[in-house]
Amino acid sequence: MAATVSDLLAALPEGIDVPGETPTEQTLGDALNELTKQPIPTGALRRFGSLTGLHAKVGLAYLAYWARGCFQNADRRQQALIETNLAAAMKILSTMGYLRGAIMKIGQAAANFPDIVPDEFVDTLSRLHFEAPPMHWSLIREILHDELGRDPEDVFESFDRTAFAAASLGQVHHGRLKTGEQVAVKVQYPGIARTIRSDFRNLSILMLPLRFTRDWSCIHPQLEEVRRVLETETDYEQEADYLMRARRLFRDGDQIVVPRVHQEFSTRRVLTMEYLDGQTLAEFVRSDPSQEERDRIGSLLTRSWCRLLYAGRMNYSDPHPGNFLILKDGRLGQIDLGCMREFSDEEWEYLRYADQVVLGGRKEAEAHMRRGTDFSEAELVDLELMDAMVEYSDWMLQAMRQDEPFDYSDASVMRRGINLIHEFSRRWRPAQKPINVFIQRGVLAGWGLQHRLRSRVPVKSICDEEIAVTGWRQQTV
Amino acid sequence: MRITQQVKEETRARIVACAERLFRTQGFDATRTKEIAQEAGIAAGTLFNYFPAKEAVAVALIESALKAAEATFRKRVTDSASLEEDLFAYIAAGLRRLRPYRAYAKSVLETCLSPAATDEASAGASNIRTGHLQVFGELAATRGWSEPPTAMECQLYWTLYTGVLSFWASDSSSNQEDTLALLDQSLRMFVAWFISQRSTESLT
Repeated sequence: MAATVSDLLAALPEGIDVPGETPTEQTLGDALNELTKQPIPTGALRRFGSLTGLHAKVGLAYLAYWARGCFQNADRRQQALIETNLAAAMKILSTMGYLRGAIMKIGQAAANFPDIVPDEFVDTLSRLHFEAPPMHWSLIREILHDELGRDPEDVFESFDRTAFAAASLGQVHHGRLKTGEQVAVKVQYPGIARTIRSDFRNLSILMLPLRFTRDWSCIHPQLEEVRRVLETETDYEQEADYLMRARRLFRDGDQIVVPRVHQEFSTRRVLTMEYLDGQTLAEFVRSDPSQEERDRIGSLLTRSWCRLLYAGRMNYSDPHPGNFLILKDGRLGQIDLGCMREFSDEEWEYLRYADQVVLGGRKEAEAHMRRGTDFSEAELVDLELMDAMVEYSDWMLQAMRQDEPFDYSDASVMRRGINLIHEFSRRWRPAQKPINVFIQRGVLAGWGLQHRLRSRVPVKSICDEEIAVTGWRQQTV
Repeated sequence: MRITQQVKEETRARIVACAERLFRTQGFDATRTKEIAQEAGIAAGTLFNYFPAKEAVAVALIESALKAAEATFRKRVTDSASLEEDLFAYIAAGLRRLRPYRAYAKSVLETCLSPAATDEASAGASNIRTGHLQVFGELAATRGWSEPPTAMECQLYWTLYTGVLSFWASDSSSNQEDTLALLDQSLRMFVAWFISQRSTESLT
């Protein structure tokens, strides 16, 4: 039976249908309180139910907006849109807190695109970076004991019982080792690794109907790529390895610092590292810094990403505001390297070809598209397809090609890129190679971060300096 | 010859220690009371003066571990923790003490501590239940609920507790982390219900 307008209006989330009342911090506070009461399900079926419930809730909220729009003037309509966006964001937040793991990653990625998703979504989803539901001290104590083999009192001189930061996979506590060093201790929620595996099993079930389509041969390896990287992220020993390797890539003059890992107090579920004291990137933006400071931090972000890529052969795919700190001495701290993708020799060679596109023109771009996608020669005869791919490539690489600093504050440039992606996915199959999934995610999320910063960055000169270490441009491809 | 209380206690402790060693090395099901008696250096019949069945010996082991866990928990308890957190800490301390017996705990727990257990073989099981529920009542009382938990509240709590124990005994996840998640979630659910019950009562 079709829903009536009354049904849809009744389906509006509570608290947004009160005339004259705008969304308030109190409403958000209530949602967050509600969030903290929700347990983390570890059973695949329960999570599956939550996921489909989420779609239903968001869908209903927008349907309700559409229904209300039939009876309202434009101003009121705008108001209702804001309310509905906020309510939908809260529903997403609530369900994500419930699901955690992989689903929270989607929220974090979305929060980096303030001009693509509505402001109310961004504000609410941004809270995920540091306000995930907490584990109480007694649970933390048990995990620490299990992982480190001793009571926390025997390992740490002091240990704050309350977390100072929450992440998608765990929460972070401030402590001091017996030797006096200040440390940040990241503790993983029990069972979260299986949660991610379970999420992917659910996703596979949802995608079963695609198995016999032509797209499946592209989608399946891309999904596998996502699963592999997210599963790696649940292994803090792996993250410790990334942190140690990344730390060695930076010198004092770089103004970029990666915390030192205390390996003897780190395991697959607990990561103990040097405590860095500073503002998060979100706090930095809120403090209304000068344009000069924004540009400086924007340049450090670009430098950091390029250094990891070109000198470290690692693609950092999770650049969101919670993963960076502005230290008191002005340095940039990169505090979370969980979501990293390393390149094989074969992939590295592929990236060397990609660099030729930065320097070259359409001919190089076309040659790269033939290597970097699964489109057949017959498909690539389609000039519109090739034009679209080259246009997207030009959009992605524009910051690396222009001599003057690139202005990330221009929302229209970012919107154009997103429109290109939408248009491409509407017309052609998703034939990109798996390696590009996280490269694209890293670039787009980094772009979103710079956009929030409203920075102007000399991307080309930074990239040229950093690429030099590869020796690519002295070689013949 | 009259046997002193001290000798009785020493014999009892020896039986428990020998049983623990046999349960650990050859399994609970494969161990016979005759072997426990032999290992402890007493006649088979003498063992029954101390324990009516091997399940009772196992329960004595568990009871002793849980008493030690309670002492650990009481040392750590603070005013700032919630009821949910205190119950978590109390149960988790018990699970940690029981860990050496996990390999054979399942059959003992199901036989003696399950809500459906008849308990004829193990008088100690009712001590464990009574002691545990007493701590639950104390923790609730410190939050201002002076009325002791009702029979229904106790039964629900005990069902939760023994369910967690049973899950833990078969939990194959690393460090039984799934049990921690289950305990966390089930206590959130139970305490929310318990508080709502008490709020309703205070209103009426």
